[in-house]
Amino acid sequence: MLLIKGAKIYPVIGSILDPGMILINDLGKIEAIGSTIDAPNAEIVDYTGKVILPGLIDAHSHIGIWGDGEGKAGYDGNEIPEPIVGKVNALDSVNPFQRSFAGAREGGITTVQILPGSGNPIGGLGFSCKTAGIIIDDMVIKNPTGLKGALGENPKRLHGKEFKHSPSTRMGTAALIRDYFQNAREYMIKKDEAKTRGEYFEIDLNLEPAYLVLKGEIPFRVHAHRHDDIVTAIRLCEEFGINYSIEHCTDGHLIAEFLGNKGAVAHVGPGLSSRGKVETANFTDRNPAILAKHGVKVCLMTDHPFLNCRHFLAYGAVAYKHGLSFDDTLKAMTINPAESLGIADRVGSLEPTKDADFIVLNGEPFTYTSVIEKTFIEGKLVWKRPVF
Amino acid sequence: MLAIINARLETISHGIIEDGQILMEGGIIKALGTELEIPEDAQIINAEGRTVTPGIIEPHTHIGISEQGVGWEGNDTNESTNPITPWCQAIDGVNMLDDAFQDFREAGITTVNILPGSSNIIGGTSVAVKCKQTTIVDDVVILNPSGMKASLGENPKRPYAAKPKTPSTRMGSAALLREALIKARQYLEKQNQVKSEKDLPKFDKESEALIPVIKGEIPLRIHCHRADDIVTAIRICKEFDLQYTLEHVTDGYLLVDFLKENAGHYAIGPTMHYGSKVENKDRDFRTPVYLSQAEVDFTLTTDHPVVAGQYLILTAGLAVSWGMKRDAALKSITLTAAEHIGIQSRVGSLEVGKDADLVIWSDDPLDFTTFADITIIDGQIVFTREVE
Repeated sequence: MLLIKGAKIYPVIGSILDPGMILINDLGKIEAIGSTIDAPNAEIVDYTGKVILPGLIDAHSHIGIWGDGEGKAGYDGNEIPEPIVGKVNALDSVNPFQRSFAGAREGGITTVQILPGSGNPIGGLGFSCKTAGIIIDDMVIKNPTGLKGALGENPKRLHGKEFKHSPSTRMGTAALIRDYFQNAREYMIKKDEAKTRGEYFEIDLNLEPAYLVLKGEIPFRVHAHRHDDIVTAIRLCEEFGINYSIEHCTDGHLIAEFLGNKGAVAHVGPGLSSRGKVETANFTDRNPAILAKHGVKVCLMTDHPFLNCRHFLAYGAVAYKHGLSFDDTLKAMTINPAESLGIADRVGSLEPTKDADFIVLNGEPFTYTSVIEKTFIEGKLVWKRPVF
Repeated sequence: MLAIINARLETISHGIIEDGQILMEGGIIKALGTELEIPEDAQIINAEGRTVTPGIIEPHTHIGISEQGVGWEGNDTNESTNPITPWCQAIDGVNMLDDAFQDFREAGITTVNILPGSSNIIGGTSVAVKCKQTTIVDDVVILNPSGMKASLGENPKRPYAAKPKTPSTRMGSAALLREALIKARQYLEKQNQVKSEKDLPKFDKESEALIPVIKGEIPLRIHCHRADDIVTAIRICKEFDLQYTLEHVTDGYLLVDFLKENAGHYAIGPTMHYGSKVENKDRDFRTPVYLSQAEVDFTLTTDHPVVAGQYLILTAGLAVSWGMKRDAALKSITLTAAEHIGIQSRVGSLEVGKDADLVIWSDDPLDFTTFADITIIDGQIVFTREVE
């Protein structure tokens, strides 16, 4: 048992404890949290003057699959040239030794969702994992956590322009996705019938992820920057009655009321962007605040490497600066993504029975005078700020 | 005439003036102090105790030549049809209507150096401009040419190795650079030796463009990330006794003594970016922190749009959070940046006679949640923040 005391604690769910205590058991779970905890046999660590937040959760990342510091040899994010590749899983591309994992720990990120890239209309499965470890399977929290889809510029550039096959337009991309789910719906009916009758059924690996989506077991996570791409994503998902999250949602601020009315979940990022593409031309630092104001469930994300995940907290600071409330900013980096990924029973807040994933800062977050000093996953120190 | 009163003036060159005033006329700082007589006809801004600094200066950008949100049509960064193109001038590619200029004004950035990209061994001349709202770049030039871009390492060998054409290696890159410099030096010698105009060597656009470099009138601004590229850059510049600056200097932390010894001008960055290439795999804040500890002067850069330029101040704030002194960080993006570009007689500090480029900040300029409230260039208000 480990008893953390002295620090101001933002549990995210529940009231702020100043100071508070966290009791962590030998399984790396939170045993108790409160103003005072009686644990006579516990090892005590005093963090007086420090601030503790839950480990941050990056809702959409490509760490381990995008060649951080490895050059071309490490690019394993888009399985090409087929545009519809439901059968792949980002898990099989991940290099846990890639420096981006250390970067995530440095940035206070203890949980990520790793998704395939956005080159394909259907890009494959993503999953969520912890950011410390050497065997990816041991780091997994939940697999899969979603099926990646993509609209807008990326799929039509890669396929239409480079490979000279469909999709070459936005409508072509939507048509391929529609086709895919149409096929999957028929597949689902046949598979379910075969199961009921106890008959042999031939598995189609490419359609299996769509089966999970249609069954409501995982959401469709659709890359969409431009406002009309976001609307198309929702149109498609409503046609098939499937759960979804909007990935990026860059133009969300232009259609925030529409998204709020839909009860949409948006994974917003990468923050601190330079609008590299036409579809990101309307990027604004105010996007998270505007979306939250209209009732959209906002989860911040780095899209690492497109925002270096080391600077996730700085992205939070900028979202906070531009109008997202302090509480909403913390939620957007912790409990909201935990809920979106379906892992809120384990992470996203500091509550009894949850994993003891937390970060220790030397002061309040979102200022340049305070920094993350330590990152803990399941009660174990996984990163400590080096002194330069 | 424009005056600011009740301001905390961070002059950068002459310390801090509390409760100060600053008077601007004809685009120039006419006076600053604590007991100025403000003429009756002056427009007065009451800073109400807020901090005023010189305008922020970005020493290495591709703003206007690598336009935001435009794509291929607005990308004029690299004339990568020939590895040696000293006759190209960045000014001829700058679109002052690039949205990024507005972002820069909003961020308190008043002057930028615009360089050609790094695909070529010699890419062309850079230009320093004010971030004023205009369609005519010539009207906002502060120094042209402000240098000659050169490049070592991965970038220049990549496009040509594929063609195939030299350079395909680092030694090939260095050889091409040397060859062009030798040719230009001989060309200049021939020009100096002839007695009548008819004996002048045949006009050679390449050598002609390099004469100011050979004469030491403009610096060679050399892109280098990896430690050995940094060393090669300095080796070649010493061979030809050139004025030079080093751009990026990612591995600088490995060469602290060497960089101190050579006392050059160093622009470090984009430090917030990820390890996008093998040559910058170890990118982090060690380089700025180690160099500042060794009291080596340098400036920070975002390499806009690699990291969006408006986050230059955030980058400086992060450098502080990693251990750089706060005042040194602010100096690095004002006065040292001006010195890097070679325009310190005009901008970079609040001094009588310098250009009236300054910013009124909502709080400590380096803090993550601080806004530029008012940005002034040449004594004119170019941005005022609307408070919601």
